[in-house]
Amino acid sequence: MDVEIRLFESLKKHQPPGGKVRLAAGSRVTDLLDALGISIDDVGVLMVNRADGRFDQPLRNGDVVTLIPPIGGG
Amino acid sequence: MPNGYNGKILHVDLSKGSWHVEEPEEKWYRTYMGGSNFISYYLLKNLKPGTDALSPENILIFACSVVTGAPLSGFNRYTIGAKSPLTGGFAETEAGGYWGPEFKFAGFDALVVRGRAAKPVYLWIKDGAVEIRDAAGLWGLDNWQTLERLEAELEDTRIRAVSIGPAGERLVRYACVQNDLEHYNGRTGMGAVMGSKNLKAVAVRGTQKLQMADPEKVKEIARWHNERIKTHPPNVGLSKFGTTGLVKGINDGGFLPTRNFKEGVFEGADKLAAPAYHETIFHSNSTCWACAVRCKRRVELAHEKYPLDKRFGGAEYESLAALGSMLAVDNLPAVARGNQICNLQGLDVVSTGAVIAFAMECFENGILTEMETGGRALRYGDADAMIWLIEQIASRSGLGDVLAEGVKRASEKIGRGAEKFAFHIKGQELAFHDGRGKTGMAMGFALSPTGADHIETPHDVAFQGEGVSKLYPMGLYDPVDPLKTDEAKMRFFFIGQKAWGINNVLNLCNFTSVPIHAMTFGRLVEAVQAVTGWDVSLCELVQATERSNVMARVFNNREGFTLKDDTLISRWFEEMPGGPLKGKRIDPEIFKDLVQLYYDMSGWDAQGRPTRGKLVELGLYWLLEN
Repeated sequence: MDVEIRLFESLKKHQPPGGKVRLAAGSRVTDLLDALGISIDDVGVLMVNRADGRFDQPLRNGDVVTLIPPIGGG
Repeated sequence: MPNGYNGKILHVDLSKGSWHVEEPEEKWYRTYMGGSNFISYYLLKNLKPGTDALSPENILIFACSVVTGAPLSGFNRYTIGAKSPLTGGFAETEAGGYWGPEFKFAGFDALVVRGRAAKPVYLWIKDGAVEIRDAAGLWGLDNWQTLERLEAELEDTRIRAVSIGPAGERLVRYACVQNDLEHYNGRTGMGAVMGSKNLKAVAVRGTQKLQMADPEKVKEIARWHNERIKTHPPNVGLSKFGTTGLVKGINDGGFLPTRNFKEGVFEGADKLAAPAYHETIFHSNSTCWACAVRCKRRVELAHEKYPLDKRFGGAEYESLAALGSMLAVDNLPAVARGNQICNLQGLDVVSTGAVIAFAMECFENGILTEMETGGRALRYGDADAMIWLIEQIASRSGLGDVLAEGVKRASEKIGRGAEKFAFHIKGQELAFHDGRGKTGMAMGFALSPTGADHIETPHDVAFQGEGVSKLYPMGLYDPVDPLKTDEAKMRFFFIGQKAWGINNVLNLCNFTSVPIHAMTFGRLVEAVQAVTGWDVSLCELVQATERSNVMARVFNNREGFTLKDDTLISRWFEEMPGGPLKGKRIDPEIFKDLVQLYYDMSGWDAQGRPTRGKLVELGLYWLLEN
C-alpha cells in the first residue's frame, strides 16, 4: 500500500521522493517512521487524514500522514 | 451547595489583620468562571489607577476556577495576579501542582489580599478556618527551608504551601512564587508583591470534597482522557521527556534564542537536549494533582560544583534556554544548578536568564566593565559567571541590585546605550521562542496584556498542513505558515488566543487541554457541564475568554498603556544572521498594520481601547465609565 507523507520543519529532510512511501499491508505508523528513518522522539504532532493519529495506528492505502517535530512551548 | 465551586471568596486585609468571606451569586461565577477573569475583576473594581505595584494598596489575588479540583488531568492550576511591579500593568501567572485543588478543598475559590502586614506573616487556611500567623522565623529562609519549617510548625506534612524566597523578600521585580518546590508562578513578579506585603507564604489544608453535578460523567471523561494521554503523540513526548524534548526541534528549526536573541542556533544544544539530560541528570518523572501526563522532571547529581537535589523540579525547556543557549552555556549540570538556585531563592528563571544575557552582551560590548562587576568578567559561555550573577541578583548585591530591576529599568540606570541590548515587551523579558520562526507567537508576545508571554497563543508550528484540523472547532480551516506575517496569520493568532484563553480562564494545563494535547473541544465542554451542572457551550467559554482579554486590556489602558506598547523587540525586525532561518525578519511596518487589524477584529479603537460596543456585547456594563 502507498501512504502519502507530509513533513514539516526539521523533518523535511526525510521527505521521500514523490512524497509517498510503499509499505507492507498491515503496517502501522511506527513502521512508517522506521521506513523514513525518523525517531518517534522527534515527532510532536501526528495527524492521519486530518485527525489525531497514534503511533500504533494501522495504516491503509491512500492514508495521508502529517508529522511535525515537538517545537511548541509552554 | 453549588457544583464545582464553593461560592466563597476569602478577603484578607494584612494591614488590619482581619479577614472576611464574600459569597458572590451564581451568575457572577458563570460570567467570570475563574483564573484571569477573577483577577481582572477585583483589580478593576478595587485598585486605583497609578498605584505603586509594591505599595500596600496593590491587591494580590490567588484564583482557582469553577472546575479546579475536578479529578481530571490538568484541572489543577491556579493563577496569581496583581498589578505587576515589572510592567506596571496587568499581571497573571499560572502554576500547576497541588496548591490549587487543596485550596478549593479548604473551602474557597479565590483569595484576595490587601494591605501590608506590620511584620512578616503567613496565612494558614484549613477547612474554612483562617489564621494570620507570625512569620518572623521564616523570613530570610529559602523556599525549601520555608516548606520544612511550615510543615514542622503546623505539625502536618500534608499541607500545601505557596511561598517566596529571599528574592521576593528583597523585592526583585521578577521574583516568583512556588509550591512544593516543583511548581512556579514564574512570571510578572508576583513574588515581589508578596514580599511587599510581608507575606511569606500561604499554607492550605482541605479535607472537603468538591461537589460535582455528575460525578459519574466526570469519571467517564477522566478515563477517556487518561487513556488518550497514553497514546496521543504530543502527550507521549511530554511524558517521556517533559519539555526538554523541545530543545532539539527548536534548535533544528533555527529559532532557539541564543546569545540574547542574536542567533537562533546554539552550537551546544545537543549537550542540553533530552537525550543528554536523561542520560546524565534525570532522576524521575513527577506530576501535578490528578494528572496522567507526568511531564515534570526531577534531577539528581552528586557533583562537587553543581550538585542537584531531586527535591526540586528539574530544569525544563525554558530554563535550559534561559541559562543555557541564551548565555551560550552548554554545561548541563551548571544550567540545572542555576535553575535550582533560582528555585531556592525564588527567582523567575525566564527573566533571570534574560537579564544575565543582557548583562553579558553589555559586558561584551564594553557598556559594563569590571568596574561595575567588581572585577569579574561576564563572558558568554561562562557558567560560573551565570551562577555568580544569579546569587548577586537574589541578594541584590553589587551589580545584582541593578539587574534585580529587570532589563528595562537596569538599562535606563546603566545608560551608555545599554537599552540597545535590553529586550523586553511592556517591561517584561521574553521567554525563549524567536518570533522570526513563529510569527503568530510573536503576535502573542506583542499583544499579551502581561507583556512578552509565550503562552498567549498555541505556537504556529503545530498547525501546519493537516495540523490545522486541531482548530477546526474554532473555525480555522486553512493551514498555518509559521514564517508568514500577514492577515491570515493574524486570524490564526486571534483564534488561537481564544483557544488557549479557555485554559487560562478555567485554570487548565495547556499540556492536557485544547487544542494540541489530549483533550478535545467537545469533551472539554462536556467536562465543564458535568462538573458545574451548567448547560455551558463552547461559545460561552470563548465569550468568558474574550471577557478576560478585554478586562485586562481596560486595566492596562487605565494604567497608560497604548498601541506603542504593542510591539516587538528590535532584534526581530533585523535579519536572522544564520542557521535555517538565515535572512528571516519581521517587517515592522507590516507588523504595525497587523496590530491595527487585530484591534479592528477585536472591536477596539485605533489606540487599542475596547469600544463601548464590545463592552456591552460582553455584558461588562460596569466598565463603560472607564
